[in-house]
Amino acid sequence: MIAFEHVGKRYGGRFEALADINFRVERGEMLFLTGHSGAGKSSLLRLIMRLERPSRGRVLVAGHDLDQLHISQIPYYRRQIGVVFQDHQLLFDRDIFANVALPLTIQGVEPGDAARRVRAALDKVGLLHRERALPIELSTGEQQRVGIARAVVNKPALLLADEPTGNLDPQLSADIMRLFEDFNRIGTTVLVASHDLALIARLRHRVLKLRDGRLIGDEEAA
Amino acid sequence: MSERRPSAERRVEGRRGAQKPQRRAAGGGRAWMRHHRAMMGDSALRLIRRPISTLLTMLAIAIALILPAGLWLVLDSARLLDAELDESATLTVYFQADIDESEAMDLAAEVGGQPGVAGARLVTAAEGLAAFQQTLGVDDALSQLDANPLPASVVVTPDDTAPAAVQSLSQRLQTIEGVDEVRLDLAWLDRLQQLADLGQRVALALALLFGLGVLLVVGNTIRLAVESRRQEIEVVTLIGATHAFVRRPFLYSGAWYGLGGGVLALVILMLGGNWLASPVAALAESYGAHFALPSLGGRNSVFLLLFSTLLGWLGAWLAVGRHLSDIKPR
Repeated sequence: MIAFEHVGKRYGGRFEALADINFRVERGEMLFLTGHSGAGKSSLLRLIMRLERPSRGRVLVAGHDLDQLHISQIPYYRRQIGVVFQDHQLLFDRDIFANVALPLTIQGVEPGDAARRVRAALDKVGLLHRERALPIELSTGEQQRVGIARAVVNKPALLLADEPTGNLDPQLSADIMRLFEDFNRIGTTVLVASHDLALIARLRHRVLKLRDGRLIGDEEAA
Repeated sequence: MSERRPSAERRVEGRRGAQKPQRRAAGGGRAWMRHHRAMMGDSALRLIRRPISTLLTMLAIAIALILPAGLWLVLDSARLLDAELDESATLTVYFQADIDESEAMDLAAEVGGQPGVAGARLVTAAEGLAAFQQTLGVDDALSQLDANPLPASVVVTPDDTAPAAVQSLSQRLQTIEGVDEVRLDLAWLDRLQQLADLGQRVALALALLFGLGVLLVVGNTIRLAVESRRQEIEVVTLIGATHAFVRRPFLYSGAWYGLGGGVLALVILMLGGNWLASPVAALAESYGAHFALPSLGGRNSVFLLLFSTLLGWLGAWLAVGRHLSDIKPR
């Protein structure tokens, strides 16, 4: 699903965010990406989302060499990836339903079909009863779950999460992780960047460890 | 990419993936139309929700449209006047005073036969006197005269009313035996034509300048709208929105601004026309003429609306194009 081949990323020609990264992720895997802040987790995710291009090496996702993607193909590529952000990035001027429906609206899914899929996604994160609420009326944990519903609503093959539990207490964090495991169980490849080492240790999945832009550990699930 | 979990769901997913291009082709047109309709409504709602600032922007556009449109109307009425003047762009050929009525008729026929003469109307000495009396209202004074002091004349309508052609015709008529004088006032004809040319150029320059003004007004408004929806643009870009998708609501906003500005301009022109109508009519009356201010008319109104809508759209397109490249998701 994902392959990094000798990937390096420099910013401004000096700062080396990533150096010689090599790993492969199979379809249907679930894994964590850890490291202290500034270790390169976000840079790595940005490369997968094709927000940036590597300075060296190749990034392959779902069979695409991201460097070969034409600029006009990038939107269609991104539609295959669901992304959960640390600050959930909900739009506060519209209700929960419209927020979750956003990826489907962008893809021009027929409204009836879209409504069905939005409700299914909201049901999955346990927020079906709040579909007419505005994001501001929800707790942080609920907002994060709406963000997850939006990321999975179009059944992406790959789900990326950048510090999805960064602002949540341990109980809520565990709930969120369980959601990711559920999606993984139905075949979605899940990559979660997190520095919550205690939580990661309990979950027993493959873990990639970054330090100063280098991959220093790739532990298979215990 | 090896299949680690060939589950039932996975296979369904795979098939759906394979069908995607087809589905996009079949349902794409409808989805595209749906998004256009949605954005048309959404952008209109956004404008209505801020009535004051929307109205101010539209008013600025309207004012920028009124100046060239108003000048065009003035020129149009000048053109109407011009057409009348062209008809009256005649030469008067005065015969020598000792030419009697039958000689005058022969001479008139000769003048009428000249190349470049479209029509020649003989005004006998008696007719000339009668017309003179009528115009000046000096019946009494003239009736005191023993003999008619006026010569017979021929009013010549030239084929070609261009000043140069009229000038050369005048010179030719002058050489005919028995002709005393050919009168024409070329200078004012010339000047009028030059004024009309100048007016047209000024109107064109104004239209260009104010068209640019409309672009700037809309561009600036749309720039602020883009800025205020920055987060939304970032998010939809992250989840796979194309540039066209992101641009669409702003283009519709621009078009609405343009259309609204055009409608306001039409309304203001109409009100202004009504306001000026009675003094203009009174003024024309005092010169013994009938003259009404021309209005834009249906076709030109539609053209103005189309033009202003297009300008609004273009202004939005320029602004969004420039600012979208600035907005990159963090």
